[in-house]
Amino acid sequence: MADQEIYRASTYAPVNIAVIKYWGKRDTKLNLPTNSSLSVTLSQDDLRTHTTASCSPAFPADTLTLNGSPQDISGARTQACLRELRHLRQSVEEQDPNTPKLSTMKLNITSGNNFPTAAGLASSAAGFAALVRAIADLYHLPATPTELSRIARQGSGSACRSLFGGYVAWQQGTHPDGSDSLAYEVAPASHWPDMRAVILVASAEKKDVSSTAGMQQTVATSALFQHRAENVVPQRIKAMEAAVHGRDFAAFAQLTTRDSNNFHACCADTDPPIFYMNDTSRAAVRMCEAINSSAGEVVCAYTFDAGPNAVVYYLAEHEDVVAGTFKALLGGLSGWEGKRGGAVKTAESVPEGMEVAGELLRRGVSSVILTGVGDGPRKTDQHLC
Amino acid sequence: MVDEETYKASTYAPVNIAVIKYWGKRDTKLNLPTNSSLSVTLSQDDLRTHTTASCSSTVEKDSLTLNGKDQDVSGARTQACLRELRRLRKDVEEKDGSAPKLSELKLKIVSENNFPTAAGLASSAAGFAALVRAIADLYQLPATPTELSRIARQGSGSACRSLFGGYVAWQQGDKEDGSDSLAYEVAPASHWPEMRAVILVASAEKKDVSSTAGMQQTVATSALFKHRAENVVPGRMKAMEAAIHDRDFAAFAQLTTRDSNNFHACCADTDPPIFYMNDTSRAAVRMCEAINAAAGNVVCAYTFDAGPNAVVYYLAEHEKEVAGTFKALLGEKTGWEGKRGGAVEAVKKLPEGMEVAAELLSSGVSRIIPTGVGDGPRKTEEHLC
Repeated sequence: MADQEIYRASTYAPVNIAVIKYWGKRDTKLNLPTNSSLSVTLSQDDLRTHTTASCSPAFPADTLTLNGSPQDISGARTQACLRELRHLRQSVEEQDPNTPKLSTMKLNITSGNNFPTAAGLASSAAGFAALVRAIADLYHLPATPTELSRIARQGSGSACRSLFGGYVAWQQGTHPDGSDSLAYEVAPASHWPDMRAVILVASAEKKDVSSTAGMQQTVATSALFQHRAENVVPQRIKAMEAAVHGRDFAAFAQLTTRDSNNFHACCADTDPPIFYMNDTSRAAVRMCEAINSSAGEVVCAYTFDAGPNAVVYYLAEHEDVVAGTFKALLGGLSGWEGKRGGAVKTAESVPEGMEVAGELLRRGVSSVILTGVGDGPRKTDQHLC
Repeated sequence: MVDEETYKASTYAPVNIAVIKYWGKRDTKLNLPTNSSLSVTLSQDDLRTHTTASCSSTVEKDSLTLNGKDQDVSGARTQACLRELRRLRKDVEEKDGSAPKLSELKLKIVSENNFPTAAGLASSAAGFAALVRAIADLYQLPATPTELSRIARQGSGSACRSLFGGYVAWQQGDKEDGSDSLAYEVAPASHWPEMRAVILVASAEKKDVSSTAGMQQTVATSALFKHRAENVVPGRMKAMEAAIHDRDFAAFAQLTTRDSNNFHACCADTDPPIFYMNDTSRAAVRMCEAINAAAGNVVCAYTFDAGPNAVVYYLAEHEKEVAGTFKALLGEKTGWEGKRGGAVEAVKKLPEGMEVAAELLSSGVSRIIPTGVGDGPRKTEEHLC
């Protein structure tokens, strides 16, 4: 019977890790940032959110379930996404009266991550991107990923970048209504496919300050932050786009590490100061510096988000010296068992004089994730509900 | 007959801890800074360098002994101090033909610290101030402390501030020859004598990067540094001088913590990044924040120099809440046995929710030094040689 019909669409959506960081909003309601940002989308073979959006006249209420636990769907951000998507669906229904009135039906959304949510691995970006993509597919919306990014952005700022694969920018925009604050593809994964990353997941500890609260404290109190947003980031975005287009790893690496340090410097300059990096994070920095020094060239680049996990970027040709060094140090941890991990050749020696850093890494890292640049959201017929 | 008399002068000189930090030189030879700085001179009852400068025709060459070990006097900095002081003595000798020609005699300088040199406790500031003061006294120079600060500055930048007691500023200066880069007293210790400090000395570990090298890396590579030097510090210097004149601890505290964080932010923003604070340092920050929150008032202010030691400023009236909390946490560490430490009453209850920070402090702090604001260099008849 028509009134019991259940409509469904499922998608996988990726995690992305920024190399030019988003930190600071000029509008907290619309999630409009104080500066542009740029990220690398990671492979869904290793990290992904799987989401099924379904709707039916028989559903009494909108629901959202994540990893088996019901989530609060009433929050402003989720509501903003649902409202905007329903609004676009309504336009479709107005243009074609024969199409089912999906916009009027309640939604049941079920989501699962194949990575731990508490590990500080940018799960809200993947999550909101998956939610928006799945509902957009469910609703057969003609909107482009860039148009949808405007909606995903309202769920979680960096989610807008997870609607694309490869190398993605989120243009800051200047309009107060956020209509020009959206994500676009800088280059697809296939443009520079040998980009890899090894993530050093720190032992679980309570996140120092939530991103949303933290970034607004920085905007309000950091003497250096305004300078970052106005003077530092704009030129770095341009330079990073050029580095990606030119496949220039040395430039990519320098911009990445500098921007990570600059972002964390602004966090430290906040009142009260925000400390996302810990001694283990710093040991990872020193180890990367030592790897580059031993190699005689820049072969790896670290970056840290709002948490202590190190994401170390490198090119496939340098896997032995980069991932291999971390395997020599941390081979006993989980994460090396899969296809990628198994293929990494353990380095025979670790850089000299790095015993203290090595020890800090062993104590402070709980697992590793090996991955690489990947595609944007993938439609699937595997449904979770 | 050759005058074989041995001429001697001895002095004690203090340590100072900056509340508006010096970091970055515009001239490395003359130690001219990129911004002004301001410090609190600490009491010589607790921390001091004792130096004897002697000269005699029987001394064959200039020598410097620190804590029993021979030091290299040939370095440019020590040579600059000796040269300038001898020149001033020559002026004295030219005006008064009967004055002994001390400027032609070799110097024997013996120095001792009553605190560990490796503990990152600004010993070079006290050391060069003591050297300059002792030789100036030996030479009976008419120069004022501000005039002598120009010489001490060339030995070690922050040494210029240790020629004064109380609250001291080092004016950056604009002239290329450094003639206007000098220290002056903002207020004597007697203006605000209730100022106390408890120093949490971190367990000994190799200093991340030497100050001299580090600050120039920051000048060269930090995107945020220029903004600090040009836009942030000048306003803070004025505000800090006002806070001291007004004995406004809340203002003093906010400026102190913000400037410490701003300085360390610039270090983190350096390429490669400089990390002076560690997890123990950060735990000290959180503990200070908790003490203030529990007191319902700003009663303490942390600051960190180029190392992990926390210096926590507070007023004597809040000794129990501040020093008493650290005594409750760290009562078994050395440093509480003396007159000051013994008088501190440990609190019975620690701030809530600070177990992680307490554990980090307990494992990362090796000793404490309770002290307070103090006077400038003190002449003494106790000679070390």
